Amino acid sequence: MKVEKISRSPIAELKRHVDVIQEAFKQALIPDRITIEYPRERRKYPDNLRGFIVLDKSKCISCFRCAQICPANAIQMGFYDNFYPSVDYTKCIFCHFCVESCPTGALSGSNLHDMAFKSLEDMKVKTTQMMRLPTIIREDKQTVEYFVTKREWRLVRRKELEDLSVLRIIPKIKPKRAFCEEPESCLGCRQCMEVCPHDAIVMERCEVTLEGEVVGKGCILKVTEKCVGCGLCVRQCPMKILTLKEVE
Amino acid sequence: MQEWQFVVPEKKHKKKFFGNLKTEVIDAKLCCHCAACAAICPVYGITAGDKPIDFPNWVKDCVDCGACIKVCPRWEYKPLNGIGNYVEAISAKSRRFRGQDGAMVSEITATALEMGLVEKAIFVSRDEDWRTKVITIREPSQLYDRKVTGTKYCYADSIPALKEAILSSKAVAFVGTPCMVSAVRKMQKSFKKFERVKLVIGLFCTENFYHHQLSEFLLKHKGVDLMKATKTDIKKGKFIVRFIDGSRISFPVKELEEIIPSGCKVCQDFSAIESDVSVGSVGSESGFSTVLVRTEIAKAIVDKIKEKGTAEIKEPDLGAVQKLCDYKIKIHPYPPKKKEEKGEKG
Repeated sequence: MKVEKISRSPIAELKRHVDVIQEAFKQALIPDRITIEYPRERRKYPDNLRGFIVLDKSKCISCFRCAQICPANAIQMGFYDNFYPSVDYTKCIFCHFCVESCPTGALSGSNLHDMAFKSLEDMKVKTTQMMRLPTIIREDKQTVEYFVTKREWRLVRRKELEDLSVLRIIPKIKPKRAFCEEPESCLGCRQCMEVCPHDAIVMERCEVTLEGEVVGKGCILKVTEKCVGCGLCVRQCPMKILTLKEVE
Repeated sequence: MQEWQFVVPEKKHKKKFFGNLKTEVIDAKLCCHCAACAAICPVYGITAGDKPIDFPNWVKDCVDCGACIKVCPRWEYKPLNGIGNYVEAISAKSRRFRGQDGAMVSEITATALEMGLVEKAIFVSRDEDWRTKVITIREPSQLYDRKVTGTKYCYADSIPALKEAILSSKAVAFVGTPCMVSAVRKMQKSFKKFERVKLVIGLFCTENFYHHQLSEFLLKHKGVDLMKATKTDIKKGKFIVRFIDGSRISFPVKELEEIIPSGCKVCQDFSAIESDVSVGSVGSESGFSTVLVRTEIAKAIVDKIKEKGTAEIKEPDLGAVQKLCDYKIKIHPYPPKKKEEKGEKG
């Protein structure tokens, strides 16, 4: 394509003006732009959208799993009466790995995706802010939905507003407990005992017997009822003989 | 509620277990540098590498579990000697691989991998400077690398790599010196997970060296640089170094006496008695390896090699192997004669 010098003759100028006015009328009557005029228009999101993360403090067992699994390193554990997570939304990629890895269901997702913050500092959402859902201020007058086919890409605008009640998606969690798969490989290093935040693994000294005969002095490790299934011991075990097992 | 029990070994001194190990094995100059303790240590505090085994700051960091003592082949040391039990002895040369002599370690490993008996094997490779480097073999094709095959007369941390390997796979092969083989057997006895080590290939061994001491010795006394070497060998009491340009030097192993680590000086196990299969050059003609098959799994592999014809097979001269076994007992007496501090050992 060649760049040509625009003709400045009055007839050409007039023709261009007519073109522009025609386009303006066309857009006013049947608009075909595909950008969304946010916040006056709001896109309709899928139902299972991963959004704002909510914390139920009473369920949190401070196992640090969410902080360890976070691929964006957005979760920090802060100390209140115990360690609780806080999410830095400047980093969060809304993958909800933290929600899925949470062993007790203390973290849950919501369908709230449009978040506005006044400053970068505010985007570091504190634990106390995570415990309640944020207030919703709506300015949208239209809902927009994309329709994408092979041939066209168009928007459908509807006057009706989408219902924006924020749903907490409560994950289904079965209680789990630490379990030793292969006690014969236990080093006896007691690392599991030391890492356990709930003192659920206890040790007692005993005499070790093999087929009724005392073979030496040893210890018994016990996983007690206190175990909440955080999996810290599973991660710590140097022989990787511990797992989490569902309990009925 | 679930419970399980484990034995805690008895202490000989009123210290933490690593303190016991240090007094009884390391300071008593019995340590063979197999690095089994470094592998098993749950807090990864024990350090190996090209220096004596140590645990910096053990008084504070040792968790006193006793795992290191359970796996140490030199704790309550009873030296093994002789040629040991074997079901078959052959002298063979691989048709596929090129190695130290007959490349039978590579051949056996490759066959085990092909048969699906093991998923991976822990081998020792080297860098340009002949420093040992532990690598994992997953494909027989990796064994064509001449850096992987061939003997390195330096310590390598194979057992720590072996432990990582058994955590991630169900069947592992291992190649090591007799002391490492003993350590692996001791680990298998104490901890069930090590039963995943399916194949243990032992190497004929008289002594091993620290890399820095060996390279320094060669540079200082012989004026040669290991960097330019392509092969090191011990044959008929001579240490031989071959170079890229085809030249070679050889001198009696006796000259290396001053740098032989103390742990090797009490070892009498020449033929890796506790291994599944022992391989070495002694007892075979040049270019062939002697293979002592000791267990069922090794027998199956050697039968497969014979069936496929991937190796040339000859009759070995076991008299030579026996002679070296006896020689090792003679040069490495236990308890050592001159050291009076060993008197207290029971």
